[in-house]
Amino acid sequence: MSEERGMGIIVETIARATIPLIGIFGAYVVSHGHLTPGGGFQGGATIAGAGILFLIAFGLGEMKQHYNKNLYSILEGLGGLAFLGMAMLGIGVAFFYNTLWHNGPIFNGRPGTLLSAGYLPVMNIAVGLKVFAGLVSAMVAIASYRRWGK
Amino acid sequence: MNRTFGGLALLFLLGVLLAVANPSTGIKFGPGGDEWMKYRYTDQYYIDHGPEETGGANVVTDIVFDYRGYDTLGEATVLFTAIAGAVALLRPWRRDGDE
Repeated sequence: MSEERGMGIIVETIARATIPLIGIFGAYVVSHGHLTPGGGFQGGATIAGAGILFLIAFGLGEMKQHYNKNLYSILEGLGGLAFLGMAMLGIGVAFFYNTLWHNGPIFNGRPGTLLSAGYLPVMNIAVGLKVFAGLVSAMVAIASYRRWGK
Repeated sequence: MNRTFGGLALLFLLGVLLAVANPSTGIKFGPGGDEWMKYRYTDQYYIDHGPEETGGANVVTDIVFDYRGYDTLGEATVLFTAIAGAVALLRPWRRDGDE
């Protein structure tokens, strides 16, 4: 059971300081996906990197207390459904018609501002959520695979 | 014997690819000027009309989520299937018990 413990106190303290920073930077990359380089996949992978750092620094036992398999499955499915829902918004014209940008009540600002680009920010957030939940659940599944020693 | 044929086939494919990637016989690298509009007119359209048609200042995001959204949908489906397959295969075995 020694592999379920975390690493040393230095690593845990540094991880405690850097995990929020990594999460904030990932959220920035996701939410500015229509303005700056990056987007849903890259930002989601960055936030999942924060989760993986938590898993490695604090150990599997601590991770299992904060990890809920059903919640992460629901989050991943919810991200995909939000993506599809945004794509279906302009179904009156065509699939993937950006109706929020052309005649929507919100997200129709000048190009270059945060509240612009129609459904692109919402889709970025949906894909980021999906990638984050998927990568973290895959890493937890790999970490808790116990047929190595003994 | 099979390994010999496999190696020869790989060598032949490498030669074909080298001929294709040669600028004098195949594709060209770094097109500019007239060649840009001849070979990359689609890119020029995206660069010219992307921000006004989709509203996003990032042309890559415009293409990936708006012009070619089906591709991103398929990509998300591939990711979902990969995660589902990995998690399903990495479950504890039944005879490991008590999990």
